[in-house]
Amino acid sequence: MSTQTLVAPKTKKQNRLLIILFLGLLILGFCSICLGAFQIPFSHALSIFMHQFGWDLGTFTQQEANVLLQIRLPRIVLAMLVGGGLGIAGAALQGLFRNPLVEPGLIGVSSGGALFAVIFLVFGSSFVWLEAIMGVFGLPLFAFMGGLINTVLVYHLASKSGKTDISLLILAGVALNALCGALIGLAIFYADDAALRNFTFWTLGDVGGATWAKVQVASLLILGPAVLVSWQFKSLNALAIGESEAFHMGVDVQKVKYILLLMSALIVGTGVSMTGTIGFVGLVVPHLIRLLYGADHRLVLPGAFLLGAILLTLADLLARTVVMPAEMPIGIITAMIGAPFFIWLIMNVKKIRT
Amino acid sequence: MLEAQNIHFCIQNRPILDQANLSLRAGELTVILGPNGAGKSTLFKILSGEIPCKYGSVKYNDRILCQFKPRQLAEVRAVMPQHSSLTFPFTAHEVVALGLMPLGHTYSPDLLERVMKATHTWDLRNQLYGQLSGGEKQRVQLARVLTQIWEIKPYPRYLLLDEPTSSMDISQQHHVLEIVSQLKKRNIGVLAILHDLNLASQYADQIVLMKNGLILRQGTVEEVMTEDLLEAVFDYPIRIWRDERHGSMVIGSLPSFHHHQSTLKIASSWKVH
Repeated sequence: MSTQTLVAPKTKKQNRLLIILFLGLLILGFCSICLGAFQIPFSHALSIFMHQFGWDLGTFTQQEANVLLQIRLPRIVLAMLVGGGLGIAGAALQGLFRNPLVEPGLIGVSSGGALFAVIFLVFGSSFVWLEAIMGVFGLPLFAFMGGLINTVLVYHLASKSGKTDISLLILAGVALNALCGALIGLAIFYADDAALRNFTFWTLGDVGGATWAKVQVASLLILGPAVLVSWQFKSLNALAIGESEAFHMGVDVQKVKYILLLMSALIVGTGVSMTGTIGFVGLVVPHLIRLLYGADHRLVLPGAFLLGAILLTLADLLARTVVMPAEMPIGIITAMIGAPFFIWLIMNVKKIRT
Repeated sequence: MLEAQNIHFCIQNRPILDQANLSLRAGELTVILGPNGAGKSTLFKILSGEIPCKYGSVKYNDRILCQFKPRQLAEVRAVMPQHSSLTFPFTAHEVVALGLMPLGHTYSPDLLERVMKATHTWDLRNQLYGQLSGGEKQRVQLARVLTQIWEIKPYPRYLLLDEPTSSMDISQQHHVLEIVSQLKKRNIGVLAILHDLNLASQYADQIVLMKNGLILRQGTVEEVMTEDLLEAVFDYPIRIWRDERHGSMVIGSLPSFHHHQSTLKIASSWKVH
């Protein structure tokens, strides 16, 4: 058996899996569009879509079309983008730190993004010039800066000669999370009424506050970086055996690090600014892919994006339907799935690492 | 030629390497010997480009190291560090396949199979790297490194090995050094840090003796591996005698309570067995 025949089916198998995940996401998205406090029959939903493409089947009411196109669809697309972003950012950061316990929320990327988002919302009046320049991109880019600062800080605190010390990493994350939490409290303390209302909307926003404008920004600032991260799969594979080994095999380690840190912070920052902090997706999803289908980043990166999107869409569906007609914050659901998984992971980390 | 000139390296003003000069010719095996803390690994890392060197210069084929991009460097030299750990569940085959990375798309389709068979790792290919034994892991890493330079190229290349056989059994150790001897013929210069004096004496074309950050001696096995020099380097009594059947060197040491005995006596008592 030659190598080519050995390698080729592997890539084929990976592609097949990605296609299956993608189809799964589409089907889930379609079901999710129809379900909720306001039920839309599948046939009606289908004809609404067909109507958009100029093919009139005519079996829906205008109210159904409005709910579907203006409320549910942007919400679900946003959930997919943010969930996928968290998944791929988690996979990239785990690969970069060479550690399976890293998660954007755990090491302070999310809280850094949240802090800067809150600062932007509360002291927004002082940043009028910023909003004037960047428009709708102002908030996500500001959150990105916060996330980036924390990522770089954590990386330097926890790394010694190219190796990240996991205890230092967790401690640095705890410290930064605490600091950001305190600073968020402080910002709220100084907030005026209008800013406080803004802030409340943001924290309660979840994916419920989705509009097409938000979705446009999110798809630009999440999909773009996600593609860039996916291109680094070879370098991430090489990094898995060590930074110096990757360098010996011709990887420009510093460049790859900068790309991955920047892009992960951009993805997570954007996600946080749109939906608030959603935990555990970035931790659980890459692991599921690795446990089920192996550690090759060619599959893990795009796979984590698709599975993250599936998971968050599912969580959003649950959040909308479990306590109908009220809504449960989506973070509760991801944490209820994620936290037990995390405990299991800590118990089995030795086995996974070998 | 891989040349290092006037390498000087300090960590917190403590010199680790002092005025080290070394040249490595393609087609030869150079072995670095020396006690722990002699600066062997530091020199190794400076040669491989892993640690940037402030004082002194390293040249690959007459080109200064820092002018190489990582990718270009990977085309002229392959490196096997002392320890490599994996965080994620890769199979042995996936680990070896990483060695293809610097080759682009120009390798022959059965390259991996040939390298893995040569290093006795083909049968391990579907096992998870983390579940292999220490010696098997080392062989898989070696296969990955060899993949990088296995195919013949028109320019001289270099292979740097830091204790490549430290976890292997005796037959695997010899097997690795036989592969290295074969590779030399492909216009590849090999540098290895070894602790086994006998392996070094049997396979090396050039020996470099290091101690306290200094290169004490550099030369052929016959020139450098003498009882006096080795004793001075390792601070331990070392005896050398000739194997009667093959005429090759046998190097030995005994527990310290034997020191008062004469060399001749030790040698003859060993020959009996």
